[in-house]
Amino acid sequence: MTAAGFRRGLVAALPFLLSNGAAGLVMGLTYKGLGLGAEHAILFSLLVYSATAQAITLSMWAHPLPVVAMVVACIATNSRYLLMGAHLRQLFGGLAPRKMLPTLFLLADASWLMTNSDADRNGPDAGYLLGSSIPMAIGWVGGTALAYAAPLAANEPLRLAAALLPTMFIATLLPSQWKNVRSLWPWLTSAVAALLVARFVDPSWSMLIGGGCGTLVSMMERSDG
Amino acid sequence: MDDLRVLGVICILGITCYAMRAGGYVLAASMRDDGIAARFLRLAPGNLFIAFIVGGCLSGGLAGLVGTMVALVTMAITAREWAALGAGFGAALAASAIGL
Repeated sequence: MTAAGFRRGLVAALPFLLSNGAAGLVMGLTYKGLGLGAEHAILFSLLVYSATAQAITLSMWAHPLPVVAMVVACIATNSRYLLMGAHLRQLFGGLAPRKMLPTLFLLADASWLMTNSDADRNGPDAGYLLGSSIPMAIGWVGGTALAYAAPLAANEPLRLAAALLPTMFIATLLPSQWKNVRSLWPWLTSAVAALLVARFVDPSWSMLIGGGCGTLVSMMERSDG
Repeated sequence: MDDLRVLGVICILGITCYAMRAGGYVLAASMRDDGIAARFLRLAPGNLFIAFIVGGCLSGGLAGLVGTMVALVTMAITAREWAALGAGFGAALAASAIGL
């Protein structure tokens, strides 16, 4: 875990101040509409810190609160983090748990994807994971707080920024993941499986199942190169 | 609704989400480096990138697809993330404005 890696991650993830800020703002406006107080909404975004888990538990909001169903929904929507965490162990297994476990509090899809891309270019550095996580968390929690502090309403550019910027950012990292022509079949499999899962099962499972199917095709190759 | 009850639920959900984030890291300590699971994890990132992008494009509709493709092409040409994001977002906004 180096300071250089931390700085590199922090700078690289600065666009997420905008995209996560917009997404957090939309989430905050929704909480506000639900009648949730500012302190609770900010705490929600800080502790749960997951757009999918927050959106799904929001849709289940009722009197009384269905706690068990909400917990099961959180486990289901965030199961991809088990795979990401296990993969991070391969990268940072030598690092003391007292350094890694707090960092994992801020683990997000985008910071994991960025960390993998950076590890391919510069070698594994948990500082990068922490550095890239911070703008994302500030954007998300700050956006939620802004919804209460400013007289704002959700509009189209805001919704587009929240929905699209993370995807676009990860798309810009895609070339770093291309190994050779043998990447083609696994990637096509991932894309088709993700498409089918999002269309016919549930969009929150598309990354895990789509990526898993593509990885199984990758494993049929004799070597990993 | 009782503030304390809401606070309790938020804490329970927060602990659940952290358990998912840290769980894989902790459980993987008992995994063999040369096993099938370890190889699966080594090969997973690129495929998860693709699945993430496809999911994002779907939720963003046609405007999302246009924006993502423009971002990807701009990145391939310029190798600058800010340029790619600006061009992609501009294209998505324009596509959305014309009703795509």
